[in-house]
Amino acid sequence: MASRALCVCVRAALRPLPRRSVAALSGAVCRQRSTLSTHAQPTPLLSKQVSSYLYKSCRQYSEGPPLTLESIAERVLYLTVNSHFMKDLGLDSLDQVEIIMAIEDEFGFEIPDADGEKLMTPQEIVDYIADKQDVYE
Amino acid sequence: MANPLRGEVVKLYKNLLYLGREYPKGEIYFKERLKKAFMKNKDVTDPEKIKELIARGEFVVKEIEALYYLRKYRAMKQRYYEDDPK
Repeated sequence: MASRALCVCVRAALRPLPRRSVAALSGAVCRQRSTLSTHAQPTPLLSKQVSSYLYKSCRQYSEGPPLTLESIAERVLYLTVNSHFMKDLGLDSLDQVEIIMAIEDEFGFEIPDADGEKLMTPQEIVDYIADKQDVYE
Repeated sequence: MANPLRGEVVKLYKNLLYLGREYPKGEIYFKERLKKAFMKNKDVTDPEKIKELIARGEFVVKEIEALYYLRKYRAMKQRYYEDDPK
């Protein structure tokens, strides 16, 4: 907490100053810090390095939640056959029209516009094609 | 979303995409330009303005068709009159 407060103060103090005094001041701050901390760092001269060094000391060291097979699968397989083209895949309506056209080419039949704009996930397209081409289990 | 002209715009886009498949500079080039042209007017809400833009799109369709006819005609002419100096 103290280091974070210091970090904020230093950044606020450094901003309005010209370049040269920034370097000098940050060098001073850095020396002061390195005497306080246990592992001494070679004194960086640029303010950028100082701030990243100060930030590092604010880092949280607690571990994240343990990984399980499900959580990994969920994070990797973020996209599924039920992903919505616009909400999940970030496509727009024109892209969706292109997808429908590609499907038309692939299967060689025309999908009416009214039906086409309702097909929003891969699974819906599969169901639609199976329905129209009379494919049943 | 529920704009009554939406269907027409989508139809126009589809038509243009079909036409773009044989575009001399390649389908990808055409698609990029087409998409940009449509996206440029995505915020237009005035029905009159949309109709105007659709009319412009129809005009572009005709232009492209004319381009293809011309290309076909030139190719045929070159084949039938080979010694012709263009």
